[in-house]
Amino acid sequence: MAYSFPEEVLEHVFSFIHTDKDRNAISLVCKSWYEVERWSRRRIFIGNCYAVSPGIVIRRFPELRSVALKGKPHFADFNLVPDGWGGNVYPWIAAMAMAYPMLEELRLKRMVVTDESLELISRSFKNFKVLVLSSCEGFSTDGLAAIAANCSGRFSEESRISSFDLLSFATFFLSNQTKRYNRFELKPACEVDIGSPISLIPDFAHHWCPSTFPAWPPRCPSLRTLRLNRAVPLDRLPNLLRRAPQLVELGTGAYSAEHRPEVFSSLAGAFSNCKELKSLSGFWDVVPDYLPAVYPACSGITSLNLSYATIQSPDLIKLVTQCQNLQRLWVLDYIEDSGLDALAASCKDLQELRVFPSEPYDMEGNVALTEQGLVSVSEGCPKLHSVLYFCRQMTNAALVSIAKNRPNMTRFRLCIIEPRTRDYQTLEPLDVGFGAIVEHCKELHRLSLSGLLTDRVFEYIGTHAKKLEMLSVAFAGDGDLGLHHVLSGCKSLRKLEIRDCPFGDKALLANAAKLETMRSLWMSSCSVSFGACKLLGQKMPRLNVEVMDERGRPDSRPESCSVEKLYIYRSVAGPRSDMPRFVWTMKTPS
Amino acid sequence: MELQLGLALPTSPVNDFDLNCHVSDPTEAASSDLCGRGDDMISGRSNKKRGFIEAFELPPQTLPLLLWNDHPNDDDDDDDRKGVENSSFIAKKNDDGYCIVGWPPIKFRRKKICSHNRDDNDRTVLHNGSARAGVGGGVNPNSKYVKVKMVGVGIARKIDLSRHHSYQTLTNTLINMFGKCQQDAQSFKLAYQDREGDWLLAGDVPWRTFIQSVERLKILRIGG
Repeated sequence: MAYSFPEEVLEHVFSFIHTDKDRNAISLVCKSWYEVERWSRRRIFIGNCYAVSPGIVIRRFPELRSVALKGKPHFADFNLVPDGWGGNVYPWIAAMAMAYPMLEELRLKRMVVTDESLELISRSFKNFKVLVLSSCEGFSTDGLAAIAANCSGRFSEESRISSFDLLSFATFFLSNQTKRYNRFELKPACEVDIGSPISLIPDFAHHWCPSTFPAWPPRCPSLRTLRLNRAVPLDRLPNLLRRAPQLVELGTGAYSAEHRPEVFSSLAGAFSNCKELKSLSGFWDVVPDYLPAVYPACSGITSLNLSYATIQSPDLIKLVTQCQNLQRLWVLDYIEDSGLDALAASCKDLQELRVFPSEPYDMEGNVALTEQGLVSVSEGCPKLHSVLYFCRQMTNAALVSIAKNRPNMTRFRLCIIEPRTRDYQTLEPLDVGFGAIVEHCKELHRLSLSGLLTDRVFEYIGTHAKKLEMLSVAFAGDGDLGLHHVLSGCKSLRKLEIRDCPFGDKALLANAAKLETMRSLWMSSCSVSFGACKLLGQKMPRLNVEVMDERGRPDSRPESCSVEKLYIYRSVAGPRSDMPRFVWTMKTPS
Repeated sequence: MELQLGLALPTSPVNDFDLNCHVSDPTEAASSDLCGRGDDMISGRSNKKRGFIEAFELPPQTLPLLLWNDHPNDDDDDDDRKGVENSSFIAKKNDDGYCIVGWPPIKFRRKKICSHNRDDNDRTVLHNGSARAGVGGGVNPNSKYVKVKMVGVGIARKIDLSRHHSYQTLTNTLINMFGKCQQDAQSFKLAYQDREGDWLLAGDVPWRTFIQSVERLKILRIGG
């Protein structure tokens, strides 16, 4: 009879083990380890809120302190998921309010968060410290005010509130004033970095005035992150910075004003005082004349988000080349190839580059940004491993160069704006180029394809992309063989999202088992028939096969008719009960 | 690429959970259509039958819902065409020329910001450094410029909606902008495109709601 360690010892050992993967592995060793592990787990990440129910989570992990949940499929970001689809967090909050009174952190992405949910959060968790809402919707400043009002007094000086800057501002403010401000006056000046509807933002402008917040902020020793709303004018910035010189992340408001030397020097002075500043963003409506004010802080900057800054390449170059320690750059395609060349020459620590389109709906380009810019950066920046690049032309040769230059690439998302664009030099599809990416970049775990692509590219992907976890495909492939290559070849695939590809029933049905090893599969505007969906739903009890169709009930059309949208995900919670009228789950006969 | 009948596809990491189990599952009568297509291909593997329970236990070892052949694209030409018909190519048309929903894949918030920037900063000014300071100083962050097109008029105009508080003042201004008189106003109607890209008639929703969702305006003639 083997002795095992006393539980306390096991628990102590487990306290050094943090990643979900490791914790999951530990829990499989034996029953007693499973028990110790489940009682000692403090943080959990649930990538699909419908894969499991609150009850199941609570039963297994009774002592959680930190919960992260994701709701809608990724393509919801691009308006492909109709309103009302689901992802309401309220049932989770209600369950956790009872089960986890000591909950400290909640991170939600792509979920519907109502004011009611926020109010419940604010009342239920006495130790609440961190709220992160990414790309969520459904709430207003009323809900946020509830959080600020009820959670504020309990934040310790040391606690860092990331990404919920509203909270840090409001917290500071409320904890230093007597509560004479009611919820309606508290329309704070901080941007809520959560993709809130843009209409929320102009609202506050009417409330931001010296009489409402007279002496804000006297000093904010614990404020690390501050992101201002676009409507906060530039001349307020020096004052804010002077009161929070320990800021690590700053999002400016509007970065424009008439050029006045005293404002400029005040701003420059304030920036040079911010010795801890690592991250800059904002720069709405930017006037280039004021950019040099930022230069004193540039040597410490590791993250720069200029993706709303409509300034041209020469000004961008001047700014970016000051930031020798830059690791992450988000920028508009105004940077052009010349700017990317300069970036490649100056910023040798660059790890992540995102280039967004300034005119995404223009048929012709408006900037001199081509595949060459990306090739330069891939040559010049040895640590570059994460790329999101919007452009209008590409060649296989360029992709091959990039692949060979950067075998350490882990995330590669290329969006050639016009669907089905060929290699403009050879007029061939871009199969070979992307093939080179997956062949050389052995650690690639995220890939988005674009351009003209045949089934060949999927063959390359299935053959080489063994660590690929997420693949996004649009307007590509010739038929089922393409999908089959991916489903049968990509061992590590967790998320697959496909739109407008001629993939049908065969590959899906032949690889049905694969779907249980993945988090989810999205297919819209493809050729999957209703009959195939029904079959999958019948035969695969551990999958939820959801058909989305705004044309009405799928069984009012022939079974061979293609469904509009299909979302398949594994679940131990069974079909969900909150589906809107345009979603049907294919049932498993009981 | 030859796939073996029955058991694991060589490259598949999962021990072949496939769904042609109506062969191994005697209780399942339903999916006979699909069984029909696969039938020709399954004659060879009689020694691989499994019971239903066994099939659905742990990493199940059943057969494909549909057996893979080398030429999946051969039949079902009709299906492929159906797929294309259903594609979102047919979806929305908007004035910028791009007809495809959700493409290019940029987030909603960024789309809004880009269009704000585009409207607020005239493109010609961006190329002219000296004019920029003026624009920068003059930008009113509360302004909401939207494009207005009148049917039959080649050049679109822009109007700052933040200067208006009712449909009445808006329509009056628009009429004047396009050089029509009040009597003519009767033969026009105003439509707007909302954030989701849908075109709606102006005037049905409260002004405040309208202001928050309007993206662009169009003046149409009544009665075509």
